[in-house]
Amino acid sequence: MGLVEKIVRKCRARSPWILLFDTGACNACDIEVAACLTPRYDVERFGVLLKGSPRHADILVVTGPVTRQARDRIIRIYEQMPEPKYVVAAGTCATSGGAYWGCYNTYPGLDSVIPVHAYVSGCPVKPEAVLKAISILVEKIEKGEV
Amino acid sequence: MIWEILEAAIFPGALFILAVSLFYEWIDRKFYARLQNRVGPHLAGPFGILQPIADLIKLLSKENIVPAAADRFFFTFTPIMAPTLILLACMFLPIAGLSGLISFEGDLIVLIALLSIYTIIVYLAGEGSNNRLASIGATRAALQLIGYEIPLTLALLSAAISAGSLSVAGVLEAQIERGIWFIAGPQVIGFAIFVVAAQAEMERVPFDIPEAEQEIVAGWEVEYTGARLALFRLSKDLELFLLSGLGATVFLGGSAGPVISGLEPLLHAVYFILKSAVVLLIFSIVRAVFARLRIDQVISFSWRWLMPLAIILIILTEVLA
Repeated sequence: MGLVEKIVRKCRARSPWILLFDTGACNACDIEVAACLTPRYDVERFGVLLKGSPRHADILVVTGPVTRQARDRIIRIYEQMPEPKYVVAAGTCATSGGAYWGCYNTYPGLDSVIPVHAYVSGCPVKPEAVLKAISILVEKIEKGEV
Repeated sequence: MIWEILEAAIFPGALFILAVSLFYEWIDRKFYARLQNRVGPHLAGPFGILQPIADLIKLLSKENIVPAAADRFFFTFTPIMAPTLILLACMFLPIAGLSGLISFEGDLIVLIALLSIYTIIVYLAGEGSNNRLASIGATRAALQLIGYEIPLTLALLSAAISAGSLSVAGVLEAQIERGIWFIAGPQVIGFAIFVVAAQAEMERVPFDIPEAEQEIVAGWEVEYTGARLALFRLSKDLELFLLSGLGATVFLGGSAGPVISGLEPLLHAVYFILKSAVVLLIFSIVRAVFARLRIDQVISFSWRWLMPLAIILIILTEVLA
């Protein structure tokens, strides 16, 4: 049993498929995260594929402060993803509300809505920071700490 | 009897075909990445060669979700049928010899029919998901079938007419007898039609409108998770193997080549893999270079350019043979 679990964890770590979701951001973080897929940063080295459907993805990368309108949608998308699933909050808006903290229509950070496993700060995030966050999350998945 | 079972299951049967088709997915992803000045899969195994296997095992370990409104029968049935059909079609290809595991007169037609049934399975998979995005993707896949099926059939049949035989092994034998591959001759037009129509069959760019990520999320496979998605991805890889192998056999002389008696199965398999890798690289270049066509552009392109070209090819084959 131990060997099978080890192999499965290793495969999960080598093939983390992501889904990008924007809950009302100014789009800068989306552009920077999408820049990770370009030849300069090339996140496919880690086996990361950008998938369109939440049913296909392992990691949900959320940008933007969670607006009141987007809250039900992001919860629904999170529930549609199959286990085991992980969430990365990209940008200070997703981490804590950022520039929109305390506004009438935003929630103070993504972790007040869905469980988050990794936070990336930055306004906007640097693609290198997103790569580092993905590699730290992937290491944790491989060791079984998440 | 035991020998035949071993042949069908291991070499050159199911296990060998599965392993080589996963290897081809790696070649495709790596070559596509290098064409875009990227690295491609790198960490899973040496040079990322175990990436397709990692994807498969990861998908098999995911939670199994069936949407409440989906048609249970189609949801369970189509992911099993899709790779089975393609694997059955792969048995017709001559890999470790000059004829496939199954070979009879007329098996070229059966192979083409299996490919068409595969697209119908894709349509059922999309409709069975009970999701409007999947329905659009499924309808587009079926529409695409109307466009490329006849040119694909005519391109393969013109090679069969030139060979005088309707079996894949017969086409291969005709190339051995003449001592020259079919691609050197009027069949080069057939090869061009085959490359374009095969891209449409495999729903790869520029014909991946059934799976247009930016428009309809993931097309017909939007609701599939875990093991079912793994089976659909496997069927895509197997289709890549089948169509590149078919192109290599019919146009490039398949598994034929100088042999040392005693090592024949191994050498034939090596020639087959080398030649179908060439066709695979052509598929990858087409994928990297072109943008996606709209569904109406696909249909009008197929009927305005591919069909007349295929008919001209048939006429040329009849006249020159």
